[in-house]
Amino acid sequence: MDSLHAIGFYVSAALAGVGGILLAFLHGHWHRGLALGAVGLGVAGIYASLSAGFAAIVVLVCYIGCALLVARPDYRTIEQAAAGLWRQIGAVGAALLLVGLAYAAFRGRFAHATFYDGPFNTMTVARLLFAHDALATEAVAGVVLAALVGAAIAWRRERPRDEREGRR
Amino acid sequence: MTVTLFTVLFVAAGLTAVGAFIAAWKRELTAALTGLPVMFAGAGVAFVGVARFGATSGAPLLGQEVAVLLAITAFAAVGLGVGLAGRESSR
Repeated sequence: MDSLHAIGFYVSAALAGVGGILLAFLHGHWHRGLALGAVGLGVAGIYASLSAGFAAIVVLVCYIGCALLVARPDYRTIEQAAAGLWRQIGAVGAALLLVGLAYAAFRGRFAHATFYDGPFNTMTVARLLFAHDALATEAVAGVVLAALVGAAIAWRRERPRDEREGRR
Repeated sequence: MTVTLFTVLFVAAGLTAVGAFIAAWKRELTAALTGLPVMFAGAGVAFVGVARFGATSGAPLLGQEVAVLLAITAFAAVGLGVGLAGRESSR
């Protein structure tokens, strides 16, 4: 991997990480949408620098879609019933997860291979999606269809504002 | 300056942990849901990294395929979550 791709990787990784941290601490629908968009942009940059151009475009489109959904001003705010202690235990669990995964990455003895494919690989990935693993693609298509139909049906009914919410 | 599989997996671990932290820490359910795409992004980065640096046999771009499917699934999950949260009345 040349220096230009390496710089692109590190800049994109920093963008995705900062976007994730902002997503954790920012309040308001619009701010969260922007942070999620930054995560998507960073992850797409990581993929592009790792010679996965097609995956980068798909990720960019999907995460911008997620960001636009999260940035909508008119969905309801629902507060969790979990107490602060459980949230703190969850946060400690996330830190332990980071330590465990980083240790696995550090201690793992992985095979090294030379990468021969191109920077975009649309044809190869399309062959995998529609020929080699067609069942997985159909399963994900079914999940997307069910999720979007369910979301559209649930969205039609207006609900009263949650009184406990801290707003936008 | 170079990138190795260890670097990629470390970034993937960071993204997964940040996503788990968001899901656990946010008090609001729709905000907690945004941790899911971040966790999926971490998993996707690990898959793409293995496809780039470590795939020796079989279909070498399988990791890129899984990353594509994970991104689409994340979009579906966020759409379903926002839809289930529901539209707020204008009152």
